[in-house]
Amino acid sequence: MTDPILSVRDLRISFGSRQGRAHVVNGLSYDLAPGETLAIVGESGSGKSVSQMALMQLLPVPPARVEGEAIFEGRDLLSLDEKEIRKVRGNQIAMIFQDPMTSLNPVRTIGHQLLEPIELHLGLKGSAARERAVELLAMVGIPSPAKRLDEYPHQFSGGMRQRVVIAMGISCEPDILIADEATTALDVTTQAKIIEEISALQERLGMSLIWITHDLGVVAGIADRVVVLYGGQIMEQAPVDDLFEGRRHPYTRGLLASLPVPGDERPDKLSAISGLPPDPLALPPGCPFMPRCPHAEAVCRDRPELRAPVPSHRVACHFDPSDLYE
Amino acid sequence: MTGFIVRRVGQMLLALLGVSVVVFALIHLVPGDPVRIAMGTRFDQEVYEALRARAGLDRPLVTQYLSWLARAVVGDLGVSFRSGAPVTELVWQRLPATMTLAGAALLVAIVVGVPLGIISAVRSGSKLDYTASALSQVGVSVPDFWAAVMYILVFSLTLGWLPASGYVSLWADPVGWLRHLILPALSVGLVSGSIVFRFVRSAVLEALNQDYTRTARAKGLSRRQVLIGHVLPNAWIPIVTVIGLQLGFLLGGVVVVEIVFAWPGIGRLAFLAIGDRDITVLQGTVLYIAFMFLLINLLVDIIYGWLDPRVRYD
Amino acid sequence: MTDTAAATESTQPVAHRSRLQMTVSTVFRNRLAVSGLLVLAVLILVAIFAPWIAPYGVNELNVPSRLEGPSLAHPFGTDNLGRDVLSRVVVASRVSLQVGFIAVGIALALGVPVGLIAGYYGGRIDSILMRIMDVLFSVPAIVLAIAILATLGPGIFNAMIAIGIVYTPIFARITRGSVLSLREAVFVRAARSLGATDGRILGTHVLPNVIAPVIVQTSLSLAFAILAEAALSFLGLGVQPPDPAWGRMLSEGRGFFQQAPWMAIFPGLAILVTVMSFNFVGDGLRDALDPQQRSVIESRGVA
Repeated sequence: MTDPILSVRDLRISFGSRQGRAHVVNGLSYDLAPGETLAIVGESGSGKSVSQMALMQLLPVPPARVEGEAIFEGRDLLSLDEKEIRKVRGNQIAMIFQDPMTSLNPVRTIGHQLLEPIELHLGLKGSAARERAVELLAMVGIPSPAKRLDEYPHQFSGGMRQRVVIAMGISCEPDILIADEATTALDVTTQAKIIEEISALQERLGMSLIWITHDLGVVAGIADRVVVLYGGQIMEQAPVDDLFEGRRHPYTRGLLASLPVPGDERPDKLSAISGLPPDPLALPPGCPFMPRCPHAEAVCRDRPELRAPVPSHRVACHFDPSDLYE
Repeated sequence: MTGFIVRRVGQMLLALLGVSVVVFALIHLVPGDPVRIAMGTRFDQEVYEALRARAGLDRPLVTQYLSWLARAVVGDLGVSFRSGAPVTELVWQRLPATMTLAGAALLVAIVVGVPLGIISAVRSGSKLDYTASALSQVGVSVPDFWAAVMYILVFSLTLGWLPASGYVSLWADPVGWLRHLILPALSVGLVSGSIVFRFVRSAVLEALNQDYTRTARAKGLSRRQVLIGHVLPNAWIPIVTVIGLQLGFLLGGVVVVEIVFAWPGIGRLAFLAIGDRDITVLQGTVLYIAFMFLLINLLVDIIYGWLDPRVRYD
Repeated sequence: MTDTAAATESTQPVAHRSRLQMTVSTVFRNRLAVSGLLVLAVLILVAIFAPWIAPYGVNELNVPSRLEGPSLAHPFGTDNLGRDVLSRVVVASRVSLQVGFIAVGIALALGVPVGLIAGYYGGRIDSILMRIMDVLFSVPAIVLAIAILATLGPGIFNAMIAIGIVYTPIFARITRGSVLSLREAVFVRAARSLGATDGRILGTHVLPNVIAPVIVQTSLSLAFAILAEAALSFLGLGVQPPDPAWGRMLSEGRGFFQQAPWMAIFPGLAILVTVMSFNFVGDGLRDALDPQQRSVIESRGVA
């Protein structure tokens, strides 16, 4: 593997609240290679979005507390001061968010919002900046872009708005683009189109992509590698094909089983995982999945290490997953 | 936008028509003969007949209303039953004083409420936020006329800094004008300012928690740029609406506080008219206050449309 | 079909019970709301037992000891006729709360049905009713109340009517807004498809769901109604002498300001504390019941 562009080490995030401290991310470590697409998968509350917002220092501190490090270009993103991190945000690392209906400012024109990062980071002004904005809108497939620059978000459809958000994300040709459930709010056809477009843009601009989703179905089509998060910890990490083929953590298996697969006879009855995700205010001391795991035994009261039974495939389970299902 | 304004003007005229019916009804719901009551001891049969005829009290109701309305539209609201002076003239004489006080109170409300509200929201949870919020709780609960009485007690009677009542024309004595204006303006303005403060704070907090604010921060904009470029443009919309609606409350406060400070505005005119049972004058003042209020709301709606593209392009 | 109805009927009460429990616990976690409730409870007790609590008669004249400052015998001092200010403040709490509750009761009784009908039937009826409400809305509340009182004549009874009319539109608007959002709700459509009459649908399905915002508004309106009564009595249009009312005592106190500031200070404080308590409770209820609704304190002008 080439040198990673981003190395996250032992990331821990907690939030102070009246009921106590909520531990949302608990010792997360992973690498991201240049040009790679890494999918981070988990249910809501698994810490996937929070862990990415922390990289750009977008969490309110306090109540949030962020520990660990995230090395990007030899510097720790988490310890940059406000001025330095601002130069990274939207410029070297960009983030696009879930809901295209709410992530654009309703009272500002598309042009205004798109020009902001261009003027800020690329130093372009006036017509040069505008030209760049038009070029970007064309790049994400918006028809008659020059005209639409002066329109407001409410004049765009959901799919078109998400394209604008993507245009904003790639406006400064970032090294890393973080897409947080970027297609979840869209209908299936638009979703497929947008994913295709993002993949094409990624290739063209040579950026790394972190794709945050709860939907393993989307992951299969886009990711190189997958990290499965549960209770703010990695349960399983593997190249995408390995993950879908075999040797799966009981939690991953549960997630996969909840996908509708036409014609496929399900090997186990666990179609949707029963129970609720762990309460971040009171995490179980052992394996966080233990309360919901169909295979849990006494040994699961101890926290399992993230082991690599085969190279490049890591699993946090006391059992060898292949033993559990064969 | 033009269609939007035309629609709003239409609604305003309709509401004004409704108000005119209510105001007209006032005179006919009063138990007894308003002219006789208003004339009191200075009763004179000839004057009485003349006043009644002038007010058209001897004709059928609908005819009376229509002719009253026709005259009201061109600014003729009849004459005072008590003094015989034209009502429009009486109201116009006192309008500047009321507008001055209302304007000054609004200025106090905005100058106090808006910046403090923004700072409190941006630093929510801080000591400053806590103190300002606590004070605003007192502000929204305090009766403005009592605040007026307390200010007089402290600043006029005890400290002797400012006059306790009265009004001086700006042209005659600018310093005296200001000195007379301060206490009445604070009485009304601080109460409204508390309400404005609370609203600004919650509107800014709401905008700060929106996804587009996060998007703006993720682009690398500074907190200041995000606040000015994204948060405030959204927060202004509800803020302007509330300041507009506030004006109704503020005008009500002005009416009451005018009486405490012997401020020669239309509130005091209406108050004296009630005492004199001078119904035509009361009608005129209520109509004018409603007209002012509707006009302000129209203005607010237009500003609203100008601030919010979703309305503008509707 | 019957299944749908049964399901709707059976799920609703459950939802309500848990919501009620949640509301109660949220309100009680809010310290301001709890303190507001406590103060109100004390106030209501004081109002009920006022004649026994008040150390002196409200109109017990004692001219030799007139305009006396606060002392052990007269904790709030005496007024220009030597009457005990504390006793008068205590007894006046009755009138304030009475006017407040009855006025808001009138506003509720008029506004909620208007809002229900306008929102449920829509169309012509809706526009006519709401235009009438708009007219009432287009005169500042206190000015409208003054105009109504000038017509009906001053007095406590007329003050209740005037304040009630003034606050009717806000209840109509709030109710209508909630009804509009419910009109197409699944359980309402289900009931309609089963042939339930309009009256039944309004009473059993729509009304219970409109209650939350109306309760919040009621508490906040009580605060405004008490303020309005105080203002009207201050102007001499509300409670008539010799009956004590906070607003009236304040205006009487103005004449003896320099010698006896306590005559104006204590009735004003009584108004402030009462209004603030209702506001705290209203805010607490809003946070618990209806977090989306903007505090109407913040838009006191609307009311």
